[in-house]
Amino acid sequence: MTINTLAKGGCHREQMACFRKMEKVIVAMQDPDMGMKMRNQRLLITVIPHAMTGHDIITWLTHKYRISEEEALHLGNMLVKYGYIYPLKEPRCLVLRPDESPYRFQTPYFWTSTRWPASELDYAIYLAKKNIRKQGELMEYEKERYSLLHKRINHTWDFVVMQAREQLRASKQRRKADRIVLECQEQAYWLINRPPPGVNNVLDTGLERPNNFSCRVTLNSDYYKREIEACRKALGRNRVKSSICLEGFLKYSEQYLNHDPIMQGCLPSNPWISDDTAHWTMNAEIVPVPTRLRVERWSFSFMELLNDAMGRREFMTYLEKEFSAENLYFWQACEDIRHGENSKIVEKVEDVYKNFLAPGAARWVNIDSKTMDKTLEGIKRPHRFVMDDAQMHIYFLMKKDSYPRYLKSDLYKNMLAKAIVPQETKKSVFPFMRRQRHSSPSPAQTATQAAEEEGLAKGAGANSAAGSHF
Amino acid sequence: MGKEECKTMLDALNKVTACYRHLVIALGSTSDSQNLREELKKTRKKAQELAVANRTKLTSLLKDKTISKEDRAEYERLWVLFSSCMELLEVDMKRSLEIAQEFPLKVPTRHLIQTGMTGSTTTVAARAMSVQNMKYEADSNIDTADLRDLQAEITQVSQMMEEMEMKVQVAPWAVEAKQEAGAELKSNMSVGNSSVGVISICEEEPKEEEGGGGSREAGFASICAVIGFFVIVIVALVLGYLVVNM
Repeated sequence: MTINTLAKGGCHREQMACFRKMEKVIVAMQDPDMGMKMRNQRLLITVIPHAMTGHDIITWLTHKYRISEEEALHLGNMLVKYGYIYPLKEPRCLVLRPDESPYRFQTPYFWTSTRWPASELDYAIYLAKKNIRKQGELMEYEKERYSLLHKRINHTWDFVVMQAREQLRASKQRRKADRIVLECQEQAYWLINRPPPGVNNVLDTGLERPNNFSCRVTLNSDYYKREIEACRKALGRNRVKSSICLEGFLKYSEQYLNHDPIMQGCLPSNPWISDDTAHWTMNAEIVPVPTRLRVERWSFSFMELLNDAMGRREFMTYLEKEFSAENLYFWQACEDIRHGENSKIVEKVEDVYKNFLAPGAARWVNIDSKTMDKTLEGIKRPHRFVMDDAQMHIYFLMKKDSYPRYLKSDLYKNMLAKAIVPQETKKSVFPFMRRQRHSSPSPAQTATQAAEEEGLAKGAGANSAAGSHF
Repeated sequence: MGKEECKTMLDALNKVTACYRHLVIALGSTSDSQNLREELKKTRKKAQELAVANRTKLTSLLKDKTISKEDRAEYERLWVLFSSCMELLEVDMKRSLEIAQEFPLKVPTRHLIQTGMTGSTTTVAARAMSVQNMKYEADSNIDTADLRDLQAEITQVSQMMEEMEMKVQVAPWAVEAKQEAGAELKSNMSVGNSSVGVISICEEEPKEEEGGGGSREAGFASICAVIGFFVIVIVALVLGYLVVNM
């Protein structure tokens, strides 16, 4: 009993598109009028029909698809490589020769298929059959694989032997020519699906696995309409030039350099190194006195301020002084709707409408008429993002108006002054107990930075040259 | 004895599966024909009957709590063989549906793949059905009704396999094969002897070894025996004559 790869109701594998196309070519070759010219293969006394020369194949491909000979050779090669046509003279050499070497078509059961991958059980049965036929004279790699399979599917090995014997007996019922053909077919199939060592496995697509999105696409008007819509949307998307993008990235890095614990070290000490959690307790959500770095960050962008719980609280206090606190309340309520539970959305939207948007509401927010109309329309069918436009409007209002004034205000400046700069923990006397506060300097930081670091970091005078040793 | 019965039924199912596979390989090729489709239909019906019979027998045996440990191990082994057989059968049935749909027969221009196989598969099917000759009914709607039947049968088989997996608790990894590697070579089945003579065309050069391949083994043996007998009689007569005359 092998693991059932054809999961019931599971993923339905599709035949790869390239194989379907190759199958079409093969079927086209069978056309009685326009198809391939067939010859007979003559073995000592048996004559087997339906053989063709490599030259014929190339000529046919050239005529049918109106391509150059080189391309036809390449296409024919693919057909041989993937097992739709197999060579008769040198079966192990899967190459199309543009001369008189004979080839033959493979039967549909043995076509390469991603839908029906060759299973270990089948391979074991094939090897057992070959073993019987050749009286044990398998090739080296086949012997190895045989013993490996014997170990792997040992539980069903009796079946393998039984089935191998029966299949041979069944094939004996046919006439000699057909038996020869059958053997050649099977051999060709297994040369492709279980290639000998050293030969490329054509079914292995490697890292660049081809996408097989649209398996069967009918090129009708619907399809083209969808394509046009997709392209239109793609055109409408905002694209930023990489020069601008990288400039922004550079500015961000410069701005945040001093705030990065890895680049600048963290005060009082890095908890991971010194096992002292002071850094975390000092930078908790709500503290009586925030650190200086934190307060500085509020001035970097409005989002920074809003994302920090303490910052938001401070900002709220300021807005209340300015009598425009309803904006922030509204924004918070909208955030709650966006990120909150699905079941409570309707209720929350109702509340927001009652408190902020209804005429004569307690905390009426000032939104322009167009947005207001749109929002009121949307409220009739509330969903998670119904307040987005209004929220965006209020956000930009606060950002452009209240936020700069807040940064200039006394409230902020006092906060900044009050903010603490934690003391660096004292280094112990013994040198080998000292913990390096900084991580080893990055390669990007050259001599210029090193000097700055020395001045900034170690008051007590530890060697910055000394590597981190602990 | 339950075991012998099971083994015989399993052998029968095994034989039918092998023949079925042989027939499916011929689908879509130049040996495909109305007859082949009919043979396929008959063979798979037989396979299904055997499968159901096997399953009922084995499940009843495995459910029996009073059997000894060795017996149980043996039945589990047979069960594993049975499910492997069913797996092969299921895949072959699905593939035959696919190929039959791709290569319909009742169309004005058939594009069957010219694979070099031109003989008929009657004897294979006869072997599967354990009859001497196959009888065919000229069924006019093989492309449609037959395929619908096939689809229904495939669903039946899949359901049966699902039931099997769910209902019977047999751990396949606990089963050990009775045959060792290379066991097939040691047998003295007719398969081993007469296959020496098969033409080994597919190797590097087409060499032809005309052994006793193709001829019936029993006849060959009896002819040999008769010839030997006459040789011995002649020798005896000659010796007797010499003795008498000397």
